[in-house]
Amino acid sequence: MMAALALLAGFATASWAAPVPKEIRVGTLYASTGPFASISMPAYDGLRLWARQVNAAGGLYVKPYGRKIPVRLIAYDDQSSTATAATLYNELISRDHVNVLIADSGSVLTSVAVPIAREHKMFLFDISGTGKPFFTRDNPYIALMSLPISTLWPSVQADFLDSVGLRAGIRRVAILYATNDFSGTHANALAGYLREAGKLRIVYDQGVPTNTSNYTVLINNIAATKPDAVIELGFPGNDIGFLRALHESGEHFRYVFTLFGGFEMHALLGGAGAAAMDGTFTYVPAALYPYKVNYGPTLARFHAAWDAAYPKGSGVPWGADGLMGYMTGLVVQKALATTTGMGQLDLRRAVFAQSGKLRTLAGPFRLSRDGAQIGEMTPVGQLHADGHGGLRLVAVYPPAAAKAKPVFGK
Amino acid sequence: MLIGAVVAGVVFGLYFALVGLGLNLVFGVMRIVNLAHGDVLMLGGYAAWWLLSAFGLHPLVAAVLVLGVFIAVGYPLYYLVVPQLQRARDSEMLSLILFFGLSQMIEAVTTIAVGTTERSLPGRMLGIGPFILLGARLPKPWVFSGVVSAVAVAGVYLYLYRTRLGMLTRAVMVSRDEALATGIDVHRVSALAFGIALGLAGVAGVFAPFMLGSITPAMGPDINLTAFAVIVVGTLGNPLGTVAGGVIYGVALMLMQTYYSSWANLLPNLLLIAVLLVRPEGLFGRKTRRA
Repeated sequence: MMAALALLAGFATASWAAPVPKEIRVGTLYASTGPFASISMPAYDGLRLWARQVNAAGGLYVKPYGRKIPVRLIAYDDQSSTATAATLYNELISRDHVNVLIADSGSVLTSVAVPIAREHKMFLFDISGTGKPFFTRDNPYIALMSLPISTLWPSVQADFLDSVGLRAGIRRVAILYATNDFSGTHANALAGYLREAGKLRIVYDQGVPTNTSNYTVLINNIAATKPDAVIELGFPGNDIGFLRALHESGEHFRYVFTLFGGFEMHALLGGAGAAAMDGTFTYVPAALYPYKVNYGPTLARFHAAWDAAYPKGSGVPWGADGLMGYMTGLVVQKALATTTGMGQLDLRRAVFAQSGKLRTLAGPFRLSRDGAQIGEMTPVGQLHADGHGGLRLVAVYPPAAAKAKPVFGK
Repeated sequence: MLIGAVVAGVVFGLYFALVGLGLNLVFGVMRIVNLAHGDVLMLGGYAAWWLLSAFGLHPLVAAVLVLGVFIAVGYPLYYLVVPQLQRARDSEMLSLILFFGLSQMIEAVTTIAVGTTERSLPGRMLGIGPFILLGARLPKPWVFSGVVSAVAVAGVYLYLYRTRLGMLTRAVMVSRDEALATGIDVHRVSALAFGIALGLAGVAGVFAPFMLGSITPAMGPDINLTAFAVIVVGTLGNPLGTVAGGVIYGVALMLMQTYYSSWANLLPNLLLIAVLLVRPEGLFGRKTRRA
């Protein structure tokens, strides 16, 4: 009797179980042209590398099906246009019926994905859209993968200036930022932290349009307020324009910070040059800082795999964005290997279950209840010319991550 | 801060006069809108970057080479594209569409060829440190670029007003049909103007890394918008009015950056709207009465 019941139950399970799909469809967008191409393409290349490795190993292990299934990356070019991106996100969901939806890089191109994903009840794997408005308690369909939310991110620098900087004589701070979701939120949060601590005086706090590339007059205006520290927050193009103008202006400040000096060192080096970047401060990206991992490759192994996939001359640069794309693939992989079902909220549960446990080459993975990334706190570092036209970035804060002491200008 | 902003604005504006000059020359002579103008400028910037990276050529040498090569390319390109356009019933609208397509194609091909990373030229090639002008601190590369722009503008002036070909060009600008009726080789004059316009855009591109920080394949549309504002302010079809348009744009931009920096990118649009509402013919345009 028992055996018959077990047999019956077995038949029932077999007949009711969903058929095993031929492939897991992972949908994403990339920007081959336009202002966001420089951050989007490397992230997409990182995702492609991940998909290639997964398929070479027989596919993704998907727990609900109990087997490995090949992954198919479906990607369209949004050309850095939010209008095009909105259409393409809808197509990925409605026409291609992707199982996993990954946003394009950066806050601007992620901003249109957030309401679309929510409307379609698709869980959005957000690679690097750190804008605060994306994360709300009433939206369960998003999680930020590889960078801290922009309101939390500047806390490390604020702490650094309020402690180490203050002891070195930094008193007056100028903040110049590009007015977009990413750097605008970042600047406001930084100013908020500094004002809350009340130890330093903000003497200049101005936004400029994101397409600003000439900073000569702005630097003259900043110099007129006599700051000790000048913090410029924008995209790589902004940083290049700012660093060049500063170098050519002959003005000197004791502390100069740019947002992408480390994240896009290669691009900034080509645009601004080592002399203009020497001695400036920036964030130390995971691509230059070997975190301890408990899932996926170490930084060294990933770097070797990247170089093998995209050798010199291939036109695909090594850097932080590529690592972030790859790391997002790792989170997708882990989520599918542990999820209890293929529903989007099942995926969400699987992703959130990794919060506080997963440590990848991008650092510790920890999510707040609204899906914001709060685990990866990027250290502050200082760039030093290596004498051969290159730069090396050394972490200087927080103390646990510091490899050297900061050198402030005179 | 005010004087500094005004002085920097004049120098920056001179550069933007150079940026707009070619666009206005094409419109003035051919009555077509070259929406690929910003992309030609971008190509000039990449040419200078390549010549420096591959052969160590100084940007000033690159500027001369780019001028020559772009004129040489522009001349036959005119015959390939423009006469067909002008035979169409709505040549201005068709030119918008055609050159928009060309712009997209140039951007895509450049992206494939060089990638999306920002490129630049070392500022030290045009001098290190500030240049003090009326108490304002300006980067030496800016002053250099401003001087080259002024020379280019003077060159165009001399061409238009001191050479026979220039006189014929002005005749075509006044009336293409009448110029044709008087036996002027309109196509030859226009092809040369088209080549010069491309050459001027190319030279502006060589100095773009010094004035704008860096170049990317996607910079064309932004440059076009600004160049349009400059030439509309200075009068469409009047190449020399472009100088006034450029200086007004440059000074206004620097004043905006000083006092309302967040709103600075609205400036080209504001200038366009203001001029179109108050003086649609531009600052140097003549009011015409049609019976």
